[in-house]
Amino acid sequence: MVEDKILVWKFNRGSKDALRRIYEKYKDDLLGLAVTLLRDRSLAEDVVHDVFVSFAGTVGTFHLSGTLKGYLSTCVANSARDRNRLRSGRDAGPDVVEGAGSNSDGPMEHAIGREESGQLKDLLARLPYEQREIIVLHLHHEMRFREIAKSLGISINTVQSRYRYGLDKLRSILNSVVTK
Amino acid sequence: MRPKENIEKFVRVRKPHVTTSRQMDKRTLNDSFAAMEQTIRAKPADHKPSAPRIVTLSRMMKLTAAAAAIIVGISFYIARQGPSEQGITTKFLEVAESPSEIMTMKSLTIAYRRDGIEGIENQCEKALKILGPQPASISLGDLFNGSKS
Repeated sequence: MVEDKILVWKFNRGSKDALRRIYEKYKDDLLGLAVTLLRDRSLAEDVVHDVFVSFAGTVGTFHLSGTLKGYLSTCVANSARDRNRLRSGRDAGPDVVEGAGSNSDGPMEHAIGREESGQLKDLLARLPYEQREIIVLHLHHEMRFREIAKSLGISINTVQSRYRYGLDKLRSILNSVVTK
Repeated sequence: MRPKENIEKFVRVRKPHVTTSRQMDKRTLNDSFAAMEQTIRAKPADHKPSAPRIVTLSRMMKLTAAAAAIIVGISFYIARQGPSEQGITTKFLEVAESPSEIMTMKSLTIAYRRDGIEGIENQCEKALKILGPQPASISLGDLFNGSKS
């Protein structure tokens, strides 16, 4: 992505506009990822906030090797995992994702979209965190298995097997929902 | 379509569309700008990378540094090997023409190697001219060691 390379170049030279543009470009995607992983909007907002503050602290030395979206998604996933570990043992708490923004097309489409997304969110919530993380990173954030494996520090075979088990489980949950 | 592709499509098209709130945008951007300024203040004003960093970052500079190191190494090796042939000749002349060492074993050996027995004779004559006749009491050992009584 040439635009991202230019933005990173400007950001490294201290351009606040470039940082603002990067934030504006990826904030919704990253928040969506954090919300899907954590199922808690306020925690997800904290994760995205922390990731951007850390990213801003790398000004002048930031080196982009892959895609900017992939890098930021990995940061959000890693931070979300840490938060998830911190709250492990406790209940994830009530879902407050309903407070998500209202910048969708129209009221009808918005309602349908929210219903479908909510349905998926509920289904994904029934998967183990590790499987959910890989499915979301691969299908929603278009990260390759190799990238995911590298960012999580696990083998590509583990990533693929978690993905496969996750999809199988999702399918069985869907089947049970349909037959009810 | 296979079941796996069905489920993948199902997940893909239902990607949640979550949007950030204005409060979150404001908080995140303000904190990010503050972190950015803090980092910039902590660094040297000109943002110029240090020389070792330039060398490690640039491939061309790595090659240049390696070449320079090799040249320096070879020069040092040559310098350690001793003087050149020209240097040897100069040293030989210095030894041969040094009055104090003109009759030492070393100078005689060099003269012999250079011109054979005639060389030794020449060397002795030269020593006689420069040093003058030696006293009769001088021993052969003293003569060969070059010590003067």
